Amino acid sequence: MDVKLQRINKSFGNVSILKDVDLVFPSRKFVTLLGPSGCGKTTLLRMIAGLEDISAGSIHFGDREVNKLAPRDRNIAMVFQSYALYPQMTVRRNLGYGLRVRKTPEAEIDGAVVRVARILEIDHLLDRKPAQLSGGQRQRVALGRAMVRKPDIFLMDEPLSNLDAKLRVTMRGELRRFHLDLNATTVYVTHDQLEAMTMSDLIAVMHKGVVQQFGTPEEVYGRPANLFVAGFIGSPPMNFLEGTIDSGRFRIGEAALPLPPLADGIAHGLDAVIGVRPQDLNLVASAGPNALAGRVSLVELLGSEKLVEVMVSDRTRISVQVRAESQVGLGENVHVGFDAQSVHVFDKRTEQSLLAEATKA
Amino acid sequence: MITDKFWPAMKMAALYLLLCIVTFAVCFPLIWALSTSLKPKSEIFATPPTLIPHSTTFENYEALLSGRQQYYQSGGAGQATGPTPAQFFTRWFVNSVIVTLGSTLISIVVSTLAAYSLTRFRYWGRSAIPYFSLLGYMVPSIIFVFPLFLMMVRLELTDNLLSLVFGYVCITLPFCMWLMWAFMRSIPIEIEEAALIDGASRYQVFANVVLPTALPGIIAASIFSMIVSWNDYLFGRVFINSLDNLTLTVGVMLFFEGTHVDWGLLMAASVLMTVPMAILFMALQRHLVAGFGAGAVKG
Repeated sequence: MDVKLQRINKSFGNVSILKDVDLVFPSRKFVTLLGPSGCGKTTLLRMIAGLEDISAGSIHFGDREVNKLAPRDRNIAMVFQSYALYPQMTVRRNLGYGLRVRKTPEAEIDGAVVRVARILEIDHLLDRKPAQLSGGQRQRVALGRAMVRKPDIFLMDEPLSNLDAKLRVTMRGELRRFHLDLNATTVYVTHDQLEAMTMSDLIAVMHKGVVQQFGTPEEVYGRPANLFVAGFIGSPPMNFLEGTIDSGRFRIGEAALPLPPLADGIAHGLDAVIGVRPQDLNLVASAGPNALAGRVSLVELLGSEKLVEVMVSDRTRISVQVRAESQVGLGENVHVGFDAQSVHVFDKRTEQSLLAEATKA
Repeated sequence: MITDKFWPAMKMAALYLLLCIVTFAVCFPLIWALSTSLKPKSEIFATPPTLIPHSTTFENYEALLSGRQQYYQSGGAGQATGPTPAQFFTRWFVNSVIVTLGSTLISIVVSTLAAYSLTRFRYWGRSAIPYFSLLGYMVPSIIFVFPLFLMMVRLELTDNLLSLVFGYVCITLPFCMWLMWAFMRSIPIEIEEAALIDGASRYQVFANVVLPTALPGIIAASIFSMIVSWNDYLFGRVFINSLDNLTLTVGVMLFFEGTHVDWGLLMAASVLMTVPMAILFMALQRHLVAGFGAGAVKG
């Protein structure tokens, strides 16, 4: 079932939490609301769940408007960050509660509970209480409680953030697998861009209550719509350099760096910011028209790569990711080579991508 | 030879000895009352006094529970002319049970609902109410016993067990409400929201999720309310004036009034008064310390 959000607004008193959110989540897709804390992503999820009033706008599930529907009439399931298991009920009762309040016959409840418990490999824990479970086990029970009812829409509010790093990676894959099995639309909230990139069909990047960009992981990574998205997505973060557009090239101090062909139409003399990911830069042997000279100020070994920080002026540093075998010494004078194809160009004033504009035009 | 373990062991022994002494000191009045209530009259005033009776008898309990004041009968000469306290003992016991359960029930129902409202709904003054209510509990009850008495006169409830029920609600409700409020605040709202999404109605959320989670709080508040109501003397003394409607605390004092104090009877009455509360405590303390709420959210 698809989810349509039309001009959604939310405010508490004078404080505006969400501004004109317009999104359509296609049926059976895994959609992630991604953004830093306080961006309104959880509020939006709670509005879809019916736990939060809508100040203005409308939410449709399929053709049905659900603005006024109570949570229990929306046929949704939600996994909370804190798991929110019923502490006095056993795992079996926790899993079956949703079916029980819907007056499902006991035999059917038992069957469904056992089936889901087997899938999640918690069938040996059915008679324990939440207090007797580990974090990962509780997480699975919370997931199971959501799965047991066959919801149309699956909502998840940072379900992995309380797990340790290793378990988180395992669960990421499992959640994705469950999504494919369940055949429901999933709306997933996270502040972790890696989670969003690895799991989603579509990502809505949010900041200050506004949707900054909505697209596939490839789109938000490869063609960020503005400076915020460019800086938020990708690790290590993108490098930004300020300068002006100078007849098809980017002037920064004495140097003039190349711009991608898409940037041809950008007005001469415009104040701009270019963004380049550390992975797209390299260290070159000699000075050239597509390189900036600088001095190595920090070298970090990441494992298979090295992150080299180069000071190209008194205040500007650039991170360059190179192979771990590369011999780079601290204080060494180097040249950072730019590839025109991987340069992103943004208007300094509006912070919007100038390449996106060019694409539209 | 003194080994490494000698001093730690001695320390533990000293600690246990101290604990035994304190426990004995705390329990002594109760043990003494129990011992006296089981002694025949001849042994009660024996010197030296005995902690463990040489011969035990249940005649005091029998007298209380069957309503017979034994020394008049055994004495022969001074046959009782008016009603005697022992005749009313079972009646007073029932009265005490009624007012205790009645006031506790009202206090718990009202305070649980009030606390739920204070923690889950937004309205003016909701953060101040619990503190004011606690302040109300700190005022000594002697201050409002007379205004309350005048109100009971107006309501024509004096010498009626209802007056005690309302009086006890007045002194227990504020604290119960504060206690339940503090408890409800610790119940994460997510578990209620999870139940709402699972398909429960507001009422089902309250009955299936909130109440069981709040049970330790409800038990703590009930114990508090029962102890206050059961042990009260002041309200019982002021509000009630017929022998039929007295509660145990006031009634037992009547064993003193007269020319003769029957210590065996008095002590048996005291023991019988203590037993319900002791049983209650033993039955419920498990719930008080159980790891409630744990595991509901990230632990």
